[in-house]
Amino acid sequence: MNQKVINHKNVYYPPGGILIWIIILLELVTFGIALIAMIYEGKAEPDQFHDSRLSLNVTCGMINTVFLLTSGFFMALSVKEVNMKGKHGLKKYLPVTILFGSFFLLLKSWEYYEKIEAGLSMGHNTFFNYYWMLTLFHVIHVIVGLVILISVYLGLKKESTTIEDIEASAAFWHMCDLIWLLLFPLLYLFF
Amino acid sequence: MDRTITITWILLVVLTIITSLFSGMNGINVSIFVIVLAGFKFLGVAFQFMELKKAHLFWKIIIFAYLILFVSIILIIL
Repeated sequence: MNQKVINHKNVYYPPGGILIWIIILLELVTFGIALIAMIYEGKAEPDQFHDSRLSLNVTCGMINTVFLLTSGFFMALSVKEVNMKGKHGLKKYLPVTILFGSFFLLLKSWEYYEKIEAGLSMGHNTFFNYYWMLTLFHVIHVIVGLVILISVYLGLKKESTTIEDIEASAAFWHMCDLIWLLLFPLLYLFF
Repeated sequence: MDRTITITWILLVVLTIITSLFSGMNGINVSIFVIVLAGFKFLGVAFQFMELKKAHLFWKIIIFAYLILFVSIILIIL
């Protein structure tokens, strides 16, 4: 079993590794700039942004937040298990992590269908341009995250899969939580 | 199950529900409340779920500075 102790207090070894944290910071900055641009434009058109915000389904957004938080919770438990029992400790909670991530995508797809049926697609107005751009960009990250988690799960038997790989994939998955925790309040509740 | 992670998850879910209760309200104070609560949830995920609490001080400062800068810019625009 490939198990070694990583000193996370070293500046070059944050949990998941320095490369994934550089990616996380870049993603956070990218989404941050887009959200600030949206709020700046919302200040110029407050009525349009408020009316558009009211046409979003807050209950869907809230349930999706709970799905992602629950998925992140089981991911954090998976990493704890891995640190205690080695990489095969991942088998216990990772399927539940993937399941809740899939629930998020299912509900988001239904919400998209609802919006398209109501004619609130991309190009409807400035608010919905931001809504589609930001949420679709986030959904792409969730899909990539799920593919990474499934490939880590399927590759557990391989010697080449290390604890660092598992921690890096967990960090990427939690990044999807972080981004959604900024998107949900600013899109669904702020204006 | 890890107690700290479980408590963090419960708090995050409760804060999410509290935030959603403000969906029917409007005004600058509600906007400030919503963004500040989002900031706390962000830190909860970063420090507990992502185990940033175990990382070097540099990474903690970077994430904290990002959040402070992000929230400050939004509050200035408001």
